[in-house]
Amino acid sequence: MRAALHLAAKDLKVELRSKEMISAMFLFSLLIVLAFRFAFGEDLDSDPEKMTDLAASALWICFSFAAIVGMHTSFAKEKDRETLEGLLLCPIDRSEIFLGKVLSNLAIVFIVDALSILFFALFFSYDYGGNVAAVILVALVGTMGLVLVGTLVAAISVNGRAREALLPILLIPLIAFSVIVPCVSATRNAMNGDLAESVGEIESIVGFAVIFGAIGYFSIEYVLEG
Amino acid sequence: MKKSRLGLMLTVVALAMILATTYLALYFAPLPQTSVGAADQILSSVEGSKIRVAGFVSELIYASNPIISDSHVQIFALADFTDYSRFAEARAHGQLSERWWTINPLVVEVALDELAGYSGPYPPFSLGMNLSAEGKIIYGLLTPNSTVFDHFLTVCSFDKVEVGAGPGEFGLVTAPVAQKIFYFHMPSAWVSYLAFFVTLVGSALYLKTRNAKYDRLAHSSAELGVLFATIAITTGPVWAKQEWGVYWRWDDTKLVTTFILWLVYIGYLSLRAAVPEHGTRARVSAVYGILGFVTVPMSLLSSRIAPLLRSSHPQVIATSRGGLSPEAGLTIGIAVIAFTLLFAAMLIKRVEIAESEEELEELKRVVGGEE
Repeated sequence: MRAALHLAAKDLKVELRSKEMISAMFLFSLLIVLAFRFAFGEDLDSDPEKMTDLAASALWICFSFAAIVGMHTSFAKEKDRETLEGLLLCPIDRSEIFLGKVLSNLAIVFIVDALSILFFALFFSYDYGGNVAAVILVALVGTMGLVLVGTLVAAISVNGRAREALLPILLIPLIAFSVIVPCVSATRNAMNGDLAESVGEIESIVGFAVIFGAIGYFSIEYVLEG
Repeated sequence: MKKSRLGLMLTVVALAMILATTYLALYFAPLPQTSVGAADQILSSVEGSKIRVAGFVSELIYASNPIISDSHVQIFALADFTDYSRFAEARAHGQLSERWWTINPLVVEVALDELAGYSGPYPPFSLGMNLSAEGKIIYGLLTPNSTVFDHFLTVCSFDKVEVGAGPGEFGLVTAPVAQKIFYFHMPSAWVSYLAFFVTLVGSALYLKTRNAKYDRLAHSSAELGVLFATIAITTGPVWAKQEWGVYWRWDDTKLVTTFILWLVYIGYLSLRAAVPEHGTRARVSAVYGILGFVTVPMSLLSSRIAPLLRSSHPQVIATSRGGLSPEAGLTIGIAVIAFTLLFAAMLIKRVEIAESEEELEELKRVVGGEE
């Protein structure tokens, strides 16, 4: 576990120096805000009530695509700079590398989650029905599931050609019903102030996070080999 | 050599059986029938009963001749309307005329308080009705400007109302001929699940033993699985359009599971195509094959997500509501065996091709002087 923390700290330090991912993902969530306005502007003007329904879906589109961008970079960078071999030479378990990557990805995607939530509040003067805390809670839980499976799939897809396109192709079918659908419905309930109704969905998301984590932890040694 | 002769034999047998299936499906298996019986008896016991129709008011249709009394909205149900094929025909031609509505009308009252919140100009109106032997009444409801059966409800002993998605859900058949496609649809779907399962097993065995033959098995099986899943999800909508009025439904567990599995294994094949190096390709695709097979069914079976969907897909295993006639059962049995044999034959052939491909690559390496 300590090795994992070290790795995560290393990744975050690299990120803080280059700000590559954060700046890309920051712009990405701004672009989603823009696209959201283009797509649903008229709907929102005619019926502000729709904001809750639309914002829940748009936020999760934003979270999942930003996470895909981020998680892809986390392995692609190591591969391109040929530092992945260095990581593999470390006298630590492969699962520690997985955990380290999960932790650094989590940190970065959480930042993007927070930024997107903020942007929606700023640009649409939307207060999440006064339930920002609940929305953030769902975002945190959902992001965990997303990152746990996404990091494993990113480690898989980094071996391929055209890997930028490969990651979403491999990842989206896996997360569609295990993470996104329950998260959108839980976020919507959270915005309406009845998160209590979504306890079942949150349990399910947590359950999947545990399953994804376990599969990733035990199978990463097959992925990062050689 | 021996293996390929086995493959050839299997192919011949499978193709012969598929021909037999085609013949049986066309000329032997009877058209599906709705069980309609003792309609008059049930009618007399129904008359005047109150039916609760909570929960779907906003989705009801508008009728041109509303009848509203102080406390009740009356809904015409058509007692004579037991032949859904006629209804389907009328629907197809946009001829849902008054004639249908006035045959032997049975007035069923609906408590008005159930309609609270309904703001349309007219009260809801039900169009179709079928009486089955079990004493259930099944209504078809049309939404405005729609020729599609959008909502069905059954009334079970008049205190419980089930809202369904289409007549097929209640064992009713509006387009009997379309059902023939079932004899090809269901075996393809079954074979695709089988193939994906073989991929799972092959992947797990590869990771355990590192024997390339399991990798070839997993790859070949995934390819065939995608092929048969494609057949299943293209033949399904042909039927669905006839029976449900739409090609696709997003709220159906079976459709969505198959579709997502299909996407996962297309992803699996793209992954294999994208990774040039042998060992890496085998390893990472094995992990992904396992991840995909574990995740998809689990996420859809998960009891927390399942309520977000519901199944209007016909049950294959016969239920108390009717099920298959012996002739249809025989036909589908032969079809399933035929498709399974065809899958086995193709799998043997595909594994052989994979072996040759690897041999060829190996030869190229040797000739290229990389050794």
